[in-house]
Amino acid sequence: MPRIELRNISKHVLKDVDLTIEDKEIIALVGPNGAGKSTVLNVIAGLIGYKGEVWFDRKRMDRIPPHKRGIGYLFQDLALFPHLTVAANIAYGLRVQKYREEIISERVDELAKALHIERLKERYPRSLSGGEKQRVAIARAVAPFKKILLLDEPTSSLDAQTAKYLRAELGTLLRRLEITAVFVIHDLLGAEEIADRIAIIHKGRIEQVARPEEIFFDPKSSVVSEFIGMPNILSCVESRILSSGLIEVNCGAMRIVLPYEGNTINKIAIPPHDIYISDTKPPGPALNRYTGQILEIIPLRSVAHVKVSVGGNTLLAELSADTAAEMNLEVGQQVYVIVKLRRLRYFESEGR
Amino acid sequence: MTFKRLAIAFSICIFLVYAGLILSLFYFYKGSLFFDILRSERTLFSLKLSLMTATATTVISIFFAIPSAYALSRYRFFGRQIIDTILELPMIVSPVALGALVLIFFNTPAGTLIQDRGVQVVFTVYGILLAQFITTVGIATRLIKAAMDEIPSRYEDVAKTLGASPAKAFLTITLPLSKRGIIASSILTWAKALGEFGATITVAGSMAMKTETLPVAIFMRLASADIEGTAVLVLMLIGLGLSVLYGVRMFTNRQPYV
Repeated sequence: MPRIELRNISKHVLKDVDLTIEDKEIIALVGPNGAGKSTVLNVIAGLIGYKGEVWFDRKRMDRIPPHKRGIGYLFQDLALFPHLTVAANIAYGLRVQKYREEIISERVDELAKALHIERLKERYPRSLSGGEKQRVAIARAVAPFKKILLLDEPTSSLDAQTAKYLRAELGTLLRRLEITAVFVIHDLLGAEEIADRIAIIHKGRIEQVARPEEIFFDPKSSVVSEFIGMPNILSCVESRILSSGLIEVNCGAMRIVLPYEGNTINKIAIPPHDIYISDTKPPGPALNRYTGQILEIIPLRSVAHVKVSVGGNTLLAELSADTAAEMNLEVGQQVYVIVKLRRLRYFESEGR
Repeated sequence: MTFKRLAIAFSICIFLVYAGLILSLFYFYKGSLFFDILRSERTLFSLKLSLMTATATTVISIFFAIPSAYALSRYRFFGRQIIDTILELPMIVSPVALGALVLIFFNTPAGTLIQDRGVQVVFTVYGILLAQFITTVGIATRLIKAAMDEIPSRYEDVAKTLGASPAKAFLTITLPLSKRGIIASSILTWAKALGEFGATITVAGSMAMKTETLPVAIFMRLASADIEGTAVLVLMLIGLGLSVLYGVRMFTNRQPYV
């Protein structure tokens, strides 16, 4: 039943944001810190003033105070009421709305069971672990039969394993209760595990709203592409159209050949794991092969990030840690850099 | 000497100053006189009057302080800074001056009207209550506000999204969470009201069996050079005040919510 529609919302960093969330849809707002993700939630909840319109189905909500909007909100800091037991926390929304005690205890039991926190019912929040608090907060937010749930970084404070597990449970629960959910998350992995659609927010603008796979494989702007892990965005000018459906562009002093589909190209993106680095001259054609100098080597757990200066551009390449160790790379070293042609992504003119 | 011991030594010094003063009372203390004075109708009246007015003042002050503290803590409104500043009036102006303010007010046309048509305040028990109220309400508000400032307003946001009205969120969340602050504030208000002298004697006078609270009675005894009597009353005031404060502190010092 509840479909959420934001029209021309402006507040803080948000600029004329339009977003429609379908009934029973789970949508993730993803973007860097300060992009305005939480502001979107606060606008939907009515916790802050804003310009623009918020509609739930055919009802305009702008003049409706938070407690009458019928939304549940899971805050990032959870804010479990410290003076109430777990059961009383979950029951709070039902109590203030004067549900009968039988219904309240039935609902509390049901949710406690669904979230595996039955044995915690008489405890106070202070004595709970992070994951347990998270579960209590989820139960409390959905308890008053809300059909819309807003979640601000619901698993950010948990370790990766617990977070993954809880996200799966949360997804199941939201779908079972047929809740329309909007949640904020700062990284994409995690979002795609649970969301039907993902909205990428950057500097107060929604860059793209699409199903997770579309975001990954068909990012609509360099901002999205950059956010999902393509830090190599090069500004280019076309130089010449080659035969066999290829085009050569100049990106600084780099001449890059890529597939040509008849459109104007002024930016290309190269995923870091599609840049190869070699300390010896690789065999094969010299197409998209360059020489560069290593600027920085950043060893990570299973991969190494290598920054290379190539023809006036700084490229980030991602190598497996083993490969990097084998080559014995050093800062300042001259290396061969190969860009995989088929994995290049290009963008048409962007006026911004 | 470790830092810890040094710090403790300072606290012991403070204790010794007070304890020494209290002990010196016993130099003039006469056991027989204690019960005579305690049993005298005039002393009993003062004792009763002090307890009742201090308690009533506490209730009234806290009643006003809670909502105003909440407003000052949570809302941004025109004049908030001015109100916040004026709360310190009782701390910067001496009690006698506060009492004088009240007396002067009741000599204005508005004040005269209130006294003629409404309640007689000057030289009555109402005067005592008013004197104690104005010396305590500002500080009570300040203390409760400090307690409420400590409570994240996030809790109320959560309560609202769970369907609680602002009033309900206040009553079910912020009020219980600021309980300790309110109790602390009540204790201090009560103690300050019990010992209040300057404003009380200025507004309500020092009529025996009518407006003579314990502190006023102490002053009257001292004024008539009755050192033994003074010592007994001071001891009474100290014993009463400290035992009540200590009792309340014990009662409220338990760790909550575990």
